[in-house]
This record gives sequence, C-alpha cells and structure tokens, in this order.
Amino acid sequence: MSLPPDYANELSTLNREILKHKPADVLQFCANHFLRRLESQRAEYLLAQQHSTANGKGMAESSFPGSNPFKSSSSPGLPADQQARGMHSLEEEDENDQVASPTASSFPRNIMGATNNNTNSHADSFKAGSSPPAAASAGTGAMDSQSFPSNYNMNRRTSVSAESLNPQSSVNDNWTPPFHKKTADQQQRLRAAVSGNFLFAHLDDEQSTAVLGALQEKPIPAKDIKIITQGDVGDYFYVVEGGTFDIYVSASGKLEAGPDGLGKKVNTVSSGGSFGELALMYNAPRAATVVSTGPSTLWALDRVTFRRILMDTAFQRRRMYESFLEEVPLLQSLTPYERSKIADALETVKFPPGSHIIREGEVGESFFLLESGDAEVYKRGVEKAVKMYKKGDYFGELALLNDAPRAASVVSKTDVKVAKLGKDGFQRLLGPVEGIMRRIDYEADGAVDPLAT
Amino acid sequence: MPSLGGFLKKKRTKDSAIASQTDTPASPVRDTQSSAPSKTPSKPLSASDNPAPAPQPTNNSTLQQTYSLDQPKAKDEPMNAAAFSPPTASPAATPHQTQQNVPTIQNLLNKPDDHQQNLSAPANGTLTIPATPTAPQMQPLRATKGKYNLADFKIERTLGTGSFGRVHLVQSKHNQRYYAVKVLKKAQVVKMKQVEHTNDERKMLQRVKHPFLITLWGTFQDSKNLYMVMDFVEGGELFSLLRKSQRFPNPVAKFYAAEVTLALDYLHSFNIIYRDLKPENLLLDRHGHLKITDFGFAKEVPDITWTLCGTPDYLAPEVVASKGYNKSVDWWSLGILIFEMLCGFTPFWDGGSPMKIYENILKGRVKYPPYIHPDAQDLLQKLITHDLTKRLGNLVGGSKDIMTHPWFAEVTWDRLAKKDIDAPYVPPVKAGAGDASQFDKYPEESEKYGQEGDDPYGKYFKDF
Repeated sequence: MSLPPDYANELSTLNREILKHKPADVLQFCANHFLRRLESQRAEYLLAQQHSTANGKGMAESSFPGSNPFKSSSSPGLPADQQARGMHSLEEEDENDQVASPTASSFPRNIMGATNNNTNSHADSFKAGSSPPAAASAGTGAMDSQSFPSNYNMNRRTSVSAESLNPQSSVNDNWTPPFHKKTADQQQRLRAAVSGNFLFAHLDDEQSTAVLGALQEKPIPAKDIKIITQGDVGDYFYVVEGGTFDIYVSASGKLEAGPDGLGKKVNTVSSGGSFGELALMYNAPRAATVVSTGPSTLWALDRVTFRRILMDTAFQRRRMYESFLEEVPLLQSLTPYERSKIADALETVKFPPGSHIIREGEVGESFFLLESGDAEVYKRGVEKAVKMYKKGDYFGELALLNDAPRAASVVSKTDVKVAKLGKDGFQRLLGPVEGIMRRIDYEADGAVDPLAT
Repeated sequence: MPSLGGFLKKKRTKDSAIASQTDTPASPVRDTQSSAPSKTPSKPLSASDNPAPAPQPTNNSTLQQTYSLDQPKAKDEPMNAAAFSPPTASPAATPHQTQQNVPTIQNLLNKPDDHQQNLSAPANGTLTIPATPTAPQMQPLRATKGKYNLADFKIERTLGTGSFGRVHLVQSKHNQRYYAVKVLKKAQVVKMKQVEHTNDERKMLQRVKHPFLITLWGTFQDSKNLYMVMDFVEGGELFSLLRKSQRFPNPVAKFYAAEVTLALDYLHSFNIIYRDLKPENLLLDRHGHLKITDFGFAKEVPDITWTLCGTPDYLAPEVVASKGYNKSVDWWSLGILIFEMLCGFTPFWDGGSPMKIYENILKGRVKYPPYIHPDAQDLLQKLITHDLTKRLGNLVGGSKDIMTHPWFAEVTWDRLAKKDIDAPYVPPVKAGAGDASQFDKYPEESEKYGQEGDDPYGKYFKDF
C-alpha cells in the first residue's frame, strides 16, 4: 500500500515549511499550517464551485472562468495524470465539462464552441456583477474583504518614465550640479523640510549636500500666483521658505476654466512644507493646483538636476567599488559583469572613530572595502598599530574563503565608511570563492598540473 | 517531487479542425511570387538592421538547450526580408496550418519558411503547412523598416490607447488577415522624451522571436506618426480576465507565471531587459496562451542601467531609489505579477498617491493573505526582496532557480515552451478572424492617418 500522492504532497510542503521556519513548537506549527492549507484549499474549491454555478447568481466577482492547467488546484506538485484520476472528482467534473481533460486522447470537435458558450455566459454575469470586489460579501468574498484594500484602483495603470539618463555621457560632458549658496540657517531649515521625504531620506551625505546646494531660491511677488497647475506636466519640486500656499484639487483631474475651476481647497502649506515631489521621479501630470496667498519665497529643484546628482554619485561609487574589487587578488578572475553584481550587493556601513570594524579572534563573515577615512590594524600583544588602511584598501577577504578567526583587529581612526559584503551573499551571487580562485590557478603563468607530462 | 509522468500523456491545446488562419504567422503583405516578395524585399538593410550576429546568451539556463534543439536546422537561411515573410498566405489557395503543438521531425529538420517542401498530408486528412516552431530560437535581425505602408491596411477599431497613441485592429488588403498596428504620434513621443525608448522598442522587437512574445512584422511612418505592425492577439488582455475573476486560483496563476518566466528568460538570454511587466501588457491568444506585448521600455542592458521607468506598482526598489539596476528588476516584477494574480491587488498599492506606493516599495513590507499557498509565498518572498544577494534570478543559478522552485514543480518547462500544456482559460473568440470582442472599447479619434506635410521629427526615427 502506498500513501496517497495528495498526502505525500502536503507532507513535502510541510517539510519545506518546517525547514524554513524551524519552529520551536512543532505541533502547533503543523496545526497552524494545516489549518491554513485547509482554508486555502476550501476557498479555492468554493471559488471553482461558485463559478460553476455562477451563471444565475451574478456572484462571479471572485471566480475564474477557466480550468486548472495542472489539474491540481488543491494539491500543487501532483502530476497531472494522477490528479485526473478523480482525486477531487467534484471539481474535476465541473471543469471537464468545459475543457477536455489533459489526458483525453483527442479534443472533441465541438469543444471550442462549447467553451465559447460557456465562458460567454460568464462574461455576461461579469457585467451583471461588476461591482467593486470590496463589495463582495458572501463566500470567498467575505474572506477576501479581510485583505482586499478598499478603494483599490481597478483600472489600467499607465506606465511612467523619466528622461533616459546615461552616466557615461554625463562623465564626458563634465556636468556639475548647480550650486546656490545658502546660509547655515537656510540649510538647516531645508534639511528639516525634506527629512520626512523618502526621496531625500535615503540619500547619502554627499548626495544630500549636492541636492540641497542645487535648490534654487524663487521669490513669489504676490498672491494668487499659480505655482503648479493640476493636469500640467511637472518638472519642479518646491520647498516653502516663507509665506503660505493653498492646495486645490479639481475632481476633473485638471484645472478648469471659471471661478470654481480650481476645485476644492484641500490643504495649506507653509514654511517648512513642500509640494510637487512626484516631479522628481518622472514627468507626471500635477495632481493639484498650488496658489500663493501673498508674497512669499520658495526653493525649487528640477527633476533632471536631481536625478543626475543621484545617478552621477551612484555611478561614481560603483566605479570606485569596481576598481577596488579589481585590486583584490582573491577576486582577480571575476568578469566585469560579476564585479558589477558584487558592486550591486555591497552595503555601505559607517563607523565613528575608535570602533572595531573587525575583531581579532572572531569568526569572519564579511569582507570590507574602505571607502573613506583611516583605520588601523592591531594585533594582540602589540602595543602599536601594525598597519594602516586608507581609502581603496580592503580587508577581511579571507572570510569569503573560510571560517578561520580574524587574524587581527581593524579599528577606525577617523570617521570611516566601508562597503561590506557578507560571505553568504557572495556565494549566493557567484558561488563558492574556491571555485573562483581555482579559475586563476589554471590561468596563472607557469602553473602546471602535477599529472601533466 | 514531481514525476515525469505528469505530462507525458499527449493532450492537444487546439483542435486542428477549427484552426484559424490567424494561427499562421504571415506577413501582412502577400508575396506574389513566394520566392521574391513584391514589396521592397531587396531594400538594402539600413546600418542598424545589419544582420549583426545575434548576441550570445549569457546565462547558462537549462532552457538554452531547448532553444537550440528547436532551432531550425536549415542551413541556407537568407537574411533578408523574404526569410521573414512566411507562406504566401493566400487564403483561397493555400490551406492553413494549425498552430501545431506537436513537435515533428519535420519541424525540427526543416525551417518553417520552406513550406513548399513541407506540404504534407497529415493523418486527419486536411493539408497542413508545418508549424512555425513554437519553441524559442535565436533570430537573425529581420528587416522591418519601411516594409509596409498605410495603403496596405484597412484601419479598424481601437484596441487600446496609451500616452503617445493607440493600437488599431487592421486588416491587410493583401491577405485579408488581421493585425494590430500601434500608432505613435511623433510629436508626443518627442515631447515626452521617449525617442530613445521608442527606437529601442522597435530594435528589441525586431530581434526577438518567441511563442510568448508578440511579433513585429514591420514598421513605417508618415509625417505625423510611427506605425508598428504586429500580430493581432485575439484573446484580450490578461488584465481584463484578472479583473473579472478578481483573483486566479493557485494553478492558474502558476500557469501564466510560468509562461512569463520562459519569455523573460529568453529576453534576458539576449541581455534584453523588459521593464514593464503587468497584466495590462499580457495578451491571451485564442487558445489562452500568453503573449507579452508593449516593448516600450525594453532595452539591451548587459550590466546596469539607470532610467526610472515602468509602472508604479511594479517598480523594484533599486529603480525607485535611482541606484542603477540590472535585469533582476524583471524578476521583482514577476513577483508582483504573481502576487497580483493570486490576490487581485498589488502588495505595495496605496490609495493615497504614487509617492506612498514608492515609500511602501522602499520599506518592502509585504502582507501575504492567508490563502496564498506556502510554496507560492516562499517564491514571492524570494522575488520581492530588496536584497540582491537573495533575489531569485539574480543568483548564481540564474533563472533556473525560479524554474526549479517548488511552486513550479509541476510545470514541465519544455512542454510549456511548446504550448503543449492546456491553457486554463480559452477566450471566447467566436467570430473567427478579426473578432476583437475581447478588447475593451475606446473612443475613436478622428485624426486622419497618412497626412502629408512637415515632418520635423522624422530625423529622430530613421529606422522606422
């Protein structure tokens, strides 16, 4: 007697889950797992059944009008022929009514016609029941409403695109970001104003200095000046330095003619506030109209400047990483593409002066490239630093190779920025370093296989 | 573990008796003498159309084998337009083939364009022309430039609209078959700064040939517009099916995801990054198999690229953060697509504003609804991850890591590549060729195509 394949399948899924989550309370974990599986399988069963009886009910919102290409809706992983042997006969029959079984030796001649009629009537019921899915209340609908976001946009989504930017070309044209001087006070205010904005939050120091420097002062002489107009193309982001601005949104999606053309006033921004940030990503129609309420001052930043600053600094950092990596003998045999993948995965970590970057005796897990600052190497029993690391140096690379304890400590002398890569990450990207090392061995001059004649 | 037995039994996706003429790929312009097509066949290839050697695949996917296996073995394939204007599709005289899902020796040994030699009487009594190979193959560049003109087509209804133009259903006046023509307003393309993307779209489409990718037959332009002649794919957008269904059952999502995976793997093997995966860009053919359309952001990217483009819900965090990104953004988007198919909504969606979506993407927290199968969730967690050292598709195993993931265990990839697995849903295309009932209706535009006059932007689009 062999165990039913369905069962074997469920167990192998469970096995994978156990391996992945390594639960402390195994029994509870299994119970939860099977409850969840049951819920999901029943939901799918209902979905299918609801569909098969949906013709008259107009409840087709959550039903897929087709069949299962793998014939295993309840137990993925099961070979189709076994599935087709009536494992879940109810479901199977329903589906087989529409589309021939995968194991049927030939397609019935009229199958297309039959399918057409069938699916067509569903199409009708879709129309009848085309209310937003959030409104679904019964059956699977109830379950879905737990997680289905309310007011989800059910429409087609448009693609967006910024200008094509190419760092190579900008290296050649010697572009430098515009710089507009600001007082320390202004700098401080600007920094605070953009701190909550994720576009600025993930900038590094260099980038944010360049970006803040590029913000340009824009005096607004009077009230009722439209800074941005709903529906228009947008190229600028604004921070309010002084004065207040009213924000209007028109239901039509663009500014209309006439006294009420602005639409509803939804908000007011004042000093320290900002608006128009989507323009920093790509050219999208403005979502609102912003009007000055009196003489005031703005800081403005345009998209191309912003994106070039980001790209140029990111590109330079990458080039730096890649040239650092070229210097590491252990990684000499990497192809440029492999180096670029490693550069993608490097993580910048900062250390204040006097902190241990690696500690002698600890098991090494990461490899470091020193991006900026100085660091010193200490060994136990030696009073003074035995070595000094500066920009472009690397250390800890043996960690990529083995689990041997660190042979020395590296301590930051100044503020230090390193790019860090873990052994695990490296191996996931490129496989074991031993394999990469081996490539060099064979290419090295004069290396001769001992067995070679 | 999956057993091989699962899909060994033969099943047919289509019924040969109701084969449609649209199944046979054919150039919209009928060749009058099949050996020497009448329409500009000998037009010299422009510089960029030179039959440069096809790029060598860089990743060592298992599928590479499949590609080469099914590559036509024919020796003397001429690299000119004629080679890509397949059978003299005269509906009256030539019987039409079924899009066969049976790989025959004939298919393997003879290139499909040699239809003359391959005419054979199959068992079922109807004459068939051997099918175009349905498995991926490397393509020499085909000539597409200026191959047709407006007078070759009867323009019919709009199938879809976009930022720079619209897609029309058209009928070839030469062979009466239906095609889709994408019309782009040059002025709008220039204004939206999409010249480079548009030229790349043409270039990439010209280079690819795959059962799950749309075919570009040719391009042309007039003073105002660019025209791209493509297959008409009758089944409508996967988007419409998904919205009607709200969400797909696990195996259905798996089926579509698997076809997309094959197509992306194929593109990536040429270093082509797609960058705009979403249900709106996936069409269903009349048998329910997918075709990826809209190559507006496709581009050859050997290592990294920088331009922010795509669709907000589907953007990878490294794109949002302007860090420079590689092909693995397509695998992130595949994760979003699978999530949307399984749940009916995207994981980072926010009603507030696109900026909120981007914030969510950068935060990267995904709530998985309880009905998602554990295997599916496991795959999604490995695709929708910021950590490029963990994202499947970007690792040492390449796309193999995705195809061998437990969620895909029951997919027999080489059979899927031949469309040899029944699609879960067959679109109710009933009126035969040219039935566009599966597409939503759009208001038509009155502007006439083919106007003569000033062409200030023509210089940007020399290859059209």
